[in-house]
Amino acid sequence: MNKRKLLSGPYLVWSVAFILIPLAMIFYYGFTNSEGQFTFENVLAIGTVENFKALCLSLLLSLISTLICLILAYPLAMMLSNMKVNRTGFIVLLFILPMWMNFLLRTLAWQTLLEKNGVINQVLGFFHLPPLQMINTPGAIVLGMVYNFLPFMVLPLYNVLSKIDKDVIAAARDLGATPAYTFRKIIFPLSMPGIISGITMVFVPALTTFVISDLLGGSKILLIGNVIDRQFQQGSNWNVGSGLSLVLMIFIFISMLLTGKYDKNGEGGMF
Amino acid sequence: MKKAARNLYLGLILFLMYAPIVTLIVLSFNASKSRAKWGGFTLNWYVSLFQDNAIMTALYNTLIIALLSAVIATIVGTAASIGINAMKGRSKTILMGITNIPILNSEIVTGISLMLLFIACRVTLGFSTILLAHITFCIPYVILSVMPKLKQTNKSTYEAAQDLGAGPVYAFFKVVFPDILPGIVSGFLMAFTMSLDDFIITHFTKGPGVDTLSTKIYAEVRKGIRPEMYALSTLLFVSVLVLMILVNASPNEPKDRKTFSKIKSLQRGLRLAIPLLLMAVLAGGGAFYYFAGAKDTGSEKLIVYNWGDYADPKTIELFEEETGISVTYEEYETNEIMYPKILSGAIAYDVVCPSDYMIQRMIENDLLAKLNLDNIPNIKNMDSIYMEQSRSFDPDNAYSVPYCVGTVGILYNKTMVHEPVDSWDILWDSKYADSILMQDSVRDAFAVALKRRGYSLNSSKVDQLIQAKDDLIAQKPLVQAYVVDQVRDKMIGNEAALGVIYSGEAGYTKRENPNLEYVIPKEGSNVWIDSWVIPKNAKNKENAEKFINFMCRPDIALMNFEYLTYATPNKAARVLIKDEETRNSKILFPNAEDLKNCETFQFLGDDVDSYYNELWNKVKSK
Repeated sequence: MNKRKLLSGPYLVWSVAFILIPLAMIFYYGFTNSEGQFTFENVLAIGTVENFKALCLSLLLSLISTLICLILAYPLAMMLSNMKVNRTGFIVLLFILPMWMNFLLRTLAWQTLLEKNGVINQVLGFFHLPPLQMINTPGAIVLGMVYNFLPFMVLPLYNVLSKIDKDVIAAARDLGATPAYTFRKIIFPLSMPGIISGITMVFVPALTTFVISDLLGGSKILLIGNVIDRQFQQGSNWNVGSGLSLVLMIFIFISMLLTGKYDKNGEGGMF
Repeated sequence: MKKAARNLYLGLILFLMYAPIVTLIVLSFNASKSRAKWGGFTLNWYVSLFQDNAIMTALYNTLIIALLSAVIATIVGTAASIGINAMKGRSKTILMGITNIPILNSEIVTGISLMLLFIACRVTLGFSTILLAHITFCIPYVILSVMPKLKQTNKSTYEAAQDLGAGPVYAFFKVVFPDILPGIVSGFLMAFTMSLDDFIITHFTKGPGVDTLSTKIYAEVRKGIRPEMYALSTLLFVSVLVLMILVNASPNEPKDRKTFSKIKSLQRGLRLAIPLLLMAVLAGGGAFYYFAGAKDTGSEKLIVYNWGDYADPKTIELFEEETGISVTYEEYETNEIMYPKILSGAIAYDVVCPSDYMIQRMIENDLLAKLNLDNIPNIKNMDSIYMEQSRSFDPDNAYSVPYCVGTVGILYNKTMVHEPVDSWDILWDSKYADSILMQDSVRDAFAVALKRRGYSLNSSKVDQLIQAKDDLIAQKPLVQAYVVDQVRDKMIGNEAALGVIYSGEAGYTKRENPNLEYVIPKEGSNVWIDSWVIPKNAKNKENAEKFINFMCRPDIALMNFEYLTYATPNKAARVLIKDEETRNSKILFPNAEDLKNCETFQFLGDDVDSYYNELWNKVKSK
């Protein structure tokens, strides 16, 4: 048995070299100023009105997107898990397939669709309907997040739901439970690990994104990801950028703890 | 009924997923280069795609990196999963926690921290560092997909196999492996996909001459994405889709046995063919690299670091032919992304093309080498106006030779703006609410506000800056979007009435939409100069000077002007322009009178820089 543990040796070395040491470097930058002296200033920069507002807005928008993803994905995952086995593989792949088109190109394509004179408004105009103001709104950002991260919600949900023993559900029905009651008492609790892991996989990238808010929000809405990105790319102030990233990492750790609590056996994996 | 509702829902979601994909496919047949306009059907982009060496090389790199990192990540990750699965308690929790970090951390942090690590270890950035970085963020995806399958396996079967005399390895491959294979396959696929789609981490860990499709696309954003990219994406997408359908589709009813078994065997063949195909790509790419590498050895070298799509590729080829120097050509998208790479000294670039204020910053930080002007006789072709302007950031004209120049001004749509446009004030006119596009960069936005009040755009006076900030906040409700490169496409598509834009884009936008007009406001504006400089740690300084001299040759400067449409400071080249209207264009070649209130940006020091950023944050967060 102990020999098998050794198999994780290469990965252990790898993760120390390429995950932990770089992480330590971010900690170093986050807690020092440009002269290399120890300071809390970079981390405390989250307290300024602008940064705090950006953080709250990011939290709000990513929460909304996560919720929409969950609501859209749950019925979808249930349908997929009830399908014939050899077809589902294909349909699940359909959700990974869009990622083969470059992320930036996909998001730019949404711009073409949502703009004032974009495809959607032209279709509306064709039916003599009034045009919609869609681009450069918080709604467009949420749409972009839902679009890009939906697969990360569908896959873990599909994975847990398809593992639920059909006999358990049949038994509940035989014992007189209504479909709604079966769902509440059996399906939903059993799918909890998938829900939690889906929420983490959507919430965290949505929280840190900056490309989506730039392209679909017209850069008028400042998210915490934009603040950090600017510290690195425009301000060239890596210390503050690292400090703010450390603050974001708190949220990442919270979601990791949650995953650990509800998903002890790692059933809610992506696949 | 229920089934119909179910299919409708599935259809809706798939529509959401594929609407942008369909858009991209349509754009790949669009004759117009702008994504905002339909210019008729064409297949030209597909033709020129295969003639474009740079794109094909990037495609090779992308596929090879994705394949190698996915294969290595799958092997390391699967082994790690088995090991972690055998662990208990805290060590297991810790390892799984570490595994989650690269997935959940923001990419820019991962990218920069890996670059810092490679620089600290003195590893030369290049193909291998990209590969290391990709493997790093791919392994977690493999582990997360193999672990659940491992947990489902029944331990007793493995023990039973051993009881029956199978060795541990034999037992593993005969009993456990088939069970976890689906997890391994999907982990591999996920890793492959993630590697394919990554830009930020690749950008920070790549070295000169290595490009993936993503870095190519991002480098192109500044000059507009070339439609060849849409064509390539379409081809990639369609081929994967077809492959998936062939592998997965199974005939629902075996109507007659013969066709059924035929299809089955065809599928089996395909499943075998795919790994073989991947191997072929790998081998082909390897051979390709071998030959590309062979070409380089023994001859003179030069590493050029330039803006994305900022020189006619033909001029580079000509330079190589004439001098026998082999050029490694590398691209960046902003001054700020270029700067840390030069500062770190990770790569010894020979020639770089930064903008004015960045050159000043590099001079102040002692990063540049003085040019030996004896080796650059063609500098005599430069217009004295621009040599004069250059002194504001390079006081003795000792470090830089201008390459492209231009101004910042207002682009407006004549059908929407019916009054004369000559002042920045119009950007504060509530008539044009939601029809104004501002530049999304600190200095450009503040330059507009400062110049409007008659201040210097290099002001560091607190009261002037605060006034500019308040003006920008007052303007914000009128602004449709803060954008950088998309001003072009949005103006062409009649999305906005007024936009702040670089003069070099004026010609192109006007060609695509004749209603557009460009003007430099009377209060003055920013005149920018991108110049060739040589970093101090350059290894081939003389070749670099040869290159700069070559770029200053009138015929070469003309080729680049025609390719870029950005104005050239080269007087001798301007005379050669055939089209009279272009040659005399006041937009491209303003005279001293037009430029009298214009200034170049200067580097104001880190403190003032962060003050600007702080104020800009206040504007953006309102």
